[in-house]
Amino acid sequence: MPKHYRENAPITAAQFMDELMRLKRGSVSRRHFLGVTGLGLASAVLAGQTGLLSSPAFAEDLGKQMSIATWPNYHDPATFEAFTAKTGVAVEVNVFGSNEEMLAKLQAGGTGWDLFVPTNYTISTYVKLGLIDPLDMSKLTNYSPATETARFTAEGTISGTTYAVPKNWGTTGIALNSKKIKTPVASWKDFFEVAQNEADTRTIVHDYQLTTIGSALVSLGYSFNSVKPDELAKAEALLVKVKPHLYAINSDYQPAMRAGDAWMTMCWTNDGAQLNRDVPEIKFVLGKDGGEIWSDFYAIPKSAANKPAGYALLNYLMDPANAVKEHIANGAPTTDSRVLSLLPKEITSNTIVYPPDGQLTPLEFGAAVTLTDPARAEVMARFKSA
Amino acid sequence: MTVAKAAQTDQCNLKPQGTNVTSHSVNDIEFRSVSKSYGAVTAVSDINLQVPKGAFVALLGPSGCGKTTCLRMIGGFEQPTTGDVLINGKPMNGVQAHQRPVNMVFQQYALFPHFNVEQNVSYGLRQARPKISAPEISRRVAEALEMVRLGGFGKRRIHEMSGGQQQRVALARALVNKPSVLLLDEPLAALDKKLRTAMQIELQTLQRELGITFVLVTHDQEEALSMSDLVCVMNAGRIVQLAAPQEVYDKPRDLFVADFVGKTNRMAATVEADGATLRLADGSALSIGERSALPPGAVTLALRPEAITLHRQNQSISGRLSGVVTHRIFLGSSVEYSVSVNGLGNFLITADRHVLSESSLVEPNERVVLSFNPDAAHIFPA
Amino acid sequence: MALATNTKRRMVTASLVAPAVAWLFIFLVLPFIAMLVFSVGERAPEGGYQPAFTFAQFANLPSRAAAFWNTLFLAPVGAFICLIVAYPVAYYLAVKANPRYRLLLVSLVIVPFWTSLLVRTYAWMYLLGSRGIPNLLSMVGFDDVRILNTHGAVLLGIVYGYLPLMIMPIYVSLEKLDRRLLEASADLGAKPVSTFFSITLPLSLPGVMTGLSLVTILLLGEYLIPQLLGGGKVFFIGNALVDLFLQSRNWPFGSAIAVTLVISVVFVLLIAMRIAWKIAGTRQVDLV
Repeated sequence: MPKHYRENAPITAAQFMDELMRLKRGSVSRRHFLGVTGLGLASAVLAGQTGLLSSPAFAEDLGKQMSIATWPNYHDPATFEAFTAKTGVAVEVNVFGSNEEMLAKLQAGGTGWDLFVPTNYTISTYVKLGLIDPLDMSKLTNYSPATETARFTAEGTISGTTYAVPKNWGTTGIALNSKKIKTPVASWKDFFEVAQNEADTRTIVHDYQLTTIGSALVSLGYSFNSVKPDELAKAEALLVKVKPHLYAINSDYQPAMRAGDAWMTMCWTNDGAQLNRDVPEIKFVLGKDGGEIWSDFYAIPKSAANKPAGYALLNYLMDPANAVKEHIANGAPTTDSRVLSLLPKEITSNTIVYPPDGQLTPLEFGAAVTLTDPARAEVMARFKSA
Repeated sequence: MTVAKAAQTDQCNLKPQGTNVTSHSVNDIEFRSVSKSYGAVTAVSDINLQVPKGAFVALLGPSGCGKTTCLRMIGGFEQPTTGDVLINGKPMNGVQAHQRPVNMVFQQYALFPHFNVEQNVSYGLRQARPKISAPEISRRVAEALEMVRLGGFGKRRIHEMSGGQQQRVALARALVNKPSVLLLDEPLAALDKKLRTAMQIELQTLQRELGITFVLVTHDQEEALSMSDLVCVMNAGRIVQLAAPQEVYDKPRDLFVADFVGKTNRMAATVEADGATLRLADGSALSIGERSALPPGAVTLALRPEAITLHRQNQSISGRLSGVVTHRIFLGSSVEYSVSVNGLGNFLITADRHVLSESSLVEPNERVVLSFNPDAAHIFPA
Repeated sequence: MALATNTKRRMVTASLVAPAVAWLFIFLVLPFIAMLVFSVGERAPEGGYQPAFTFAQFANLPSRAAAFWNTLFLAPVGAFICLIVAYPVAYYLAVKANPRYRLLLVSLVIVPFWTSLLVRTYAWMYLLGSRGIPNLLSMVGFDDVRILNTHGAVLLGIVYGYLPLMIMPIYVSLEKLDRRLLEASADLGAKPVSTFFSITLPLSLPGVMTGLSLVTILLLGEYLIPQLLGGGKVFFIGNALVDLFLQSRNWPFGSAIAVTLVISVVFVLLIAMRIAWKIAGTRQVDLV
């Protein structure tokens, strides 16, 4: 789940403030806040120290410390605390802003991550660059291929070798303030129309070429993943035309939507669910003309320092009893039917999180080339500097 | 004497000829009961001073005596806490520095480092309203630079000038504005002794030629005595004595002036009941001659070093005080002796070397006899 | 003998200078060489760098012309506005403020800047957003005032963020300004305004130039403030670089832009120094 660029720290001050504000609004629990900001890390490490006294029931030596790279607001900190209590391994959480950033960091080397959370379209690139290892499935006894939804697991397996297992899936849709916008918005075509009219200077697009250019392409009737020069040129023309009408080019859209500064934005599922839960007039819709569907995976870097602990945590997270807590915390839909059956009704019946299948049909998974295509990067740069 | 010449031509512009120092009809500067305090600290208190037109006045005193504060109150950089400062008979209360008809030569000159000599000197003229024409400005700047013997230095930068030259630039910068009063704040303090003496003469000459009032602040009594025609000795925020240099030296009003201006030998003594006899600490008596009777009691006797005569013991002169030479300082034309007198302490004696030329100089450790004219002694209440 | 002394003296000098030279070499020269090497390379298919020798990256510079223009225009303008705000503050601190409280006041200028600029910029986002100042304005009848995500907000953020960097050098140059020069000016008949423009301002110019070049140079690399307060719509070279290194991972092109930026910074610096020297005469002028 890509986010706009943020500083390359375990948690940046920006995220900290964001989380702090959310904490004040009461939209996250204090525990969640501590966990996400890494302040919980201290307690996790402390727990690790007390964990030394308990007897870890593991054959392998897991060490005392491991590190995970993931997205903001993406875990229940209690999960890591419980893992630490059980194994004696303290978990250091590194929060990232974008797949590119993660890739850049891993490419540069020396990350020390034992587990990380790449998005579907990046896995083939990681494999090609030799940055991740095939998973030793014998160590993932809790993983159940049979109960996984095939469309979400597919990209984790390349030429029959499994490199990554799914965490959760999601979509990229449109969040809009129904009190402010009366024009019906049901497609990306509508999105860019309304952005220039009723939502003039009140619309946000992502600071992320994959979704922003992809959605513009979709609104013009092209593929989300197109890299054809003529189609990209038209998408660029549309974006440049819309730019003066935009409120912001920013993937951190929750604050502006909550404050009412922005009325409409490109939006990922879990953000949409959170916004709708706290501000009911903010609705989340999927484009009937298309858009993005994605899934995030767990993978183990080749350079991992403590692979046994990486596997142990991954196996722990694959346990439906643990996974269900994660899903309740982050609001993204699960890929595992065992977990789905454990989730409370109010979550599974939320059509933002679990839309009817028909709405998903026109959506496309992002492709590896879509992310790495230099032409799309240039279109984005020209759009931003226009 | 280029100075004199240049000054003479300028004189006509600056001051009508014939104003002389003795006609004190108008006071250029007047202090009326002026006090100045900074919070609880009193810098000067109850100053009354009248500076006649065309006078060269020196404000003399140790540091912290309030002399600079007085100068700054004339310049307009400080306002009196109470009392009035008048310039040309006009009260200056509330009149800012830039509105006053005086100019100042600052300590260390305060020349503008980013301007060249010419720009420094023309600064005041460029501020004048109504405006002075550019040719007129350059004519007067050239004239002023000639006056201080810096013709042709106009394009130099300040840091390229020596200390003495900078001093003259500062002088030209002030005088070019034809002030009715020129204020000088320790103007020679930064110069070496030889240059200082030369500048003393130049300043004095300039002042005579221009005929404008100079107010000089200095802690150097020699400078004050040699240049000014009126010395205002200050101590602890008050004026102690205001008189001509010779009077200040010869008739110091009190012990402080006697000490501060020139060198002085002090003796504790007691006035006998007859009011005409002094009993010194060693028990010897001294007749104070024809002065009016003094009230009996403790006094301090002050004697200038040159008022004492030194005799060799074998000269069989019936001296009153005998002692031993402890130090001898040869000064060229004169000699300074330090003589330890039994029961009375050390005496400093200045002797013209030729007085003793019939023989060699008195050697240290030699026994000597001292004599002096009682009329030369100053007697102050103890 | 003299020769030996000379050699010895040279050795001492060398050993004193060596750490600084090593520092400069390791942290300035080497990275710059790396950047030069990258800038003539190619982007690897999956991003990053692969060796090559091509000037294609430099040929592509015009595609970031808008970013260069934004930066090269807004940086000096921002620095200049910064100067206009900073000068009176520095003047007050150095000349007018009671010396007893001066240190306290100077610290008050600096202390807020111990907090991360990011956090403070987020605070501005809140202040400038509709629930902040515009909300207060709407109470007194000015509806729908939009500040956040405008060029104005970016300018405000820049001025705010870089103010102490402008205040401090000016404060220092005003503080060491000889007060007697101001008195001399007044003594020569100059009104306070005239004294300010003829004496105070020219003599504080080294500080002004230091502040201007410091702020301008740092602004040339700024990306956070335009990103946060400009809503990502105001695109500086810094933003272009962040995107190139962390999003599209086009290191060679990023390096080419960075090299160009460094060269323009040096250029700006040289011009600033020349101006400062000219005005302040041959006196030593410290820049940066």
